[in-house]
Amino acid sequence: MDGDELISVLPIHYSNSLSPNVHIHQFPLLSRPLQTPPAAAVSGKRIRARIKPITRRLEIHVPVDPRPEVWNGERSKELGAARQEDDREKNQDVGKMKQMEGEEPRLIEARMRSELIPQEGAYMLGVVRNGQLHLQPISETHQFRPTLTYLDIMSRKSRRSRGDAGSDEDSDDGPPPDPDEPPPIQTTSKKEKKPLEVKEVQVSARKAADDKGNLQGGLSAVRREMLLAIRAEEDEVWEDLDFCDGETAEGHEAFEAVFSQNEEHLECNSDITAFLKGIKGL
Amino acid sequence: MADGGSTSNTGTSSTPSGTPGPSVPKAIGSLAKKPSDVTRQGSQRLKFVPTLPSRRKKEEVKQEAPPPTIPSASTDRGRGRGRGRGRGGEGRGAAPRPPPVEMTASGPFAMGPALAGTSARRSAPRSNFTPIVPLGPGNAAALGAGLSGAAGPSLKRETLASNVLVQKEIKSEVDDDYYSDPDEGVEIIDMENVRQMDWMAPESLRKERKEKKKKKVIQVKIEDPSSPSGIKKKEEAMDIEEVDLANALDLSESEEEEELEDLIDDFALQGEAEQDADVRQERLYFFQFPEPFPTFVPNIPSTSPTTMNVDEPPSDSRPRKVSFAADVKPPGPSGDPAGVSTGLETEQTKELPTIDGVIGQLEVYRSGAVKMRLSNGILMDVTGATQPSFLQQAVHLDLQNKRLHVMGEVNKRFVVSPDIDTLLHAMELGDQAEANAMPIDDTNLIKMN
Repeated sequence: MDGDELISVLPIHYSNSLSPNVHIHQFPLLSRPLQTPPAAAVSGKRIRARIKPITRRLEIHVPVDPRPEVWNGERSKELGAARQEDDREKNQDVGKMKQMEGEEPRLIEARMRSELIPQEGAYMLGVVRNGQLHLQPISETHQFRPTLTYLDIMSRKSRRSRGDAGSDEDSDDGPPPDPDEPPPIQTTSKKEKKPLEVKEVQVSARKAADDKGNLQGGLSAVRREMLLAIRAEEDEVWEDLDFCDGETAEGHEAFEAVFSQNEEHLECNSDITAFLKGIKGL
Repeated sequence: MADGGSTSNTGTSSTPSGTPGPSVPKAIGSLAKKPSDVTRQGSQRLKFVPTLPSRRKKEEVKQEAPPPTIPSASTDRGRGRGRGRGRGGEGRGAAPRPPPVEMTASGPFAMGPALAGTSARRSAPRSNFTPIVPLGPGNAAALGAGLSGAAGPSLKRETLASNVLVQKEIKSEVDDDYYSDPDEGVEIIDMENVRQMDWMAPESLRKERKEKKKKKVIQVKIEDPSSPSGIKKKEEAMDIEEVDLANALDLSESEEEEELEDLIDDFALQGEAEQDADVRQERLYFFQFPEPFPTFVPNIPSTSPTTMNVDEPPSDSRPRKVSFAADVKPPGPSGDPAGVSTGLETEQTKELPTIDGVIGQLEVYRSGAVKMRLSNGILMDVTGATQPSFLQQAVHLDLQNKRLHVMGEVNKRFVVSPDIDTLLHAMELGDQAEANAMPIDDTNLIKMN
């Protein structure tokens, strides 16, 4: 740009000392910072996190605000029971759950589950310090949304009690029929079976891929893979993590590691044309 | 019927006062009933006369109406600037209205600057439950003094500080009761500021920017004088508003400038205010580079005198693309500046070579353009990306120690793209080089000069 005055120059430092552990976590449904509500913090609850390292799935548990003005205690008991059952089914019990509230578990936290989002291009985290820009590569992007799978349990219960009248509308017995399958014959036979074997169909659909295969006369490979992956994930054990806020000492260490220590200039091996040539399909 | 009409006339003639006929001129004093006053049956049509509310209340309402509209519109102006102004405006204009609860790092912009979320986070919870204390720099920052650090919003803290009563107990159902009974103290809630009522209060929707920009200008003018009586200034404001329509174009232009200013301020900000050491003041930025990110290796002090680095003064002797550079693993990050000589160390243990060093420079121009000049002649443009409205955190996952550190909130996103001119030029050069390298003695090729 001609006549454009240069105001300032910041040297750019790059360091990948922390990779591949730097992630971006996005909370699409949240627009306020992630903190324990003060009312919950008073009773000692903190944000907790856990991870399934192989499947790269994280969960963050955020305590809820239990004040009666904003929280329905009765409902929380119902939901808490549903969640406990859901946990048992999916092998994701929070081991630390203490049954302190008498016998009834309550819903005390919102669970946010992560989805790994594919990254477009190379993501870098940049921090400006002392007139220098420090870059660190970001390896993963996760989006967190609250999991409400315990609602499935509740609707299942209510559906059983309601009978099969309403079962066709909100039938959630497993994934929808595979489009590769010949539908008409299957569905009619399924419907005959349904009134008799509602419970069994559901359980088998979720738990064992083989049974479902038998029911529908063979799944496509993709479907089977997906189910296997889901099962593998459910089987994997959660590892608990300490969720450290920004203010902890360890947090500081990690943060400081972002900044590169080296002052030397690095040589670049790639050319600018690599960007153009690197475009897939061009 | 005429008879009916006459009887009614005679019947009612004795009570002329029963008919307030506004259109009947006093001079004539006709007692004739107007058709509108009489029903078909001839009986007196009931006339509805509204009971005028007391004067005092009207004025209050009127006063409250303009300030909420003006500041409310500007409240959620981009970057949270208006937030501060809006609050100041309300605090001044509406006496009976309880001033909204203190800031909260609510909204994406209030998380704003520096703090990387930490101090914003800390100030937010406390302020909701403790007496409202002006939280000083942390607070001003939490309000999002704009990412460009524009005008510390001059909040009318005196009015806010006086009210300790945080209406956290009163929820919407109670508010409804209040509303239905207008004689008691009405708690008028500005919808824009619902968010500040409580920790769990819902998000306020934001209005359009353009409208707010105009109001913003007005607000500036209103807020400068610090006297609480706003009537006179409102008149000014009305005038200014009209003038603003003419300036509408200017405002949108300045909006562009503002964004660029933000870029400049993001990067050009050299001296940060001294803040609490525990709170990290650096802002976190997110850059999106095109694939593949150029690979960098540390310089190996070979003997080649020429330098390829654009940003480097040619005093240092740096090697060109050293052919064996790719094989040599760079030294660890703890190298000192003079540690270039240790470049031949190989660390076979790590899969990913740890790279650490300066790769280029970021140039900020007056026009607001920001460019990254990396070594090897790579020039990139930096532009602001779409800013998401949700929370984004940068975290470090430490599996060895089983920890998840939150490094902070990402304030801004930037997209880095190669400068097209440079790119095309380089492509040309590349093609030429290839062409030159090709044997030209092939008889099938036609040479075009």
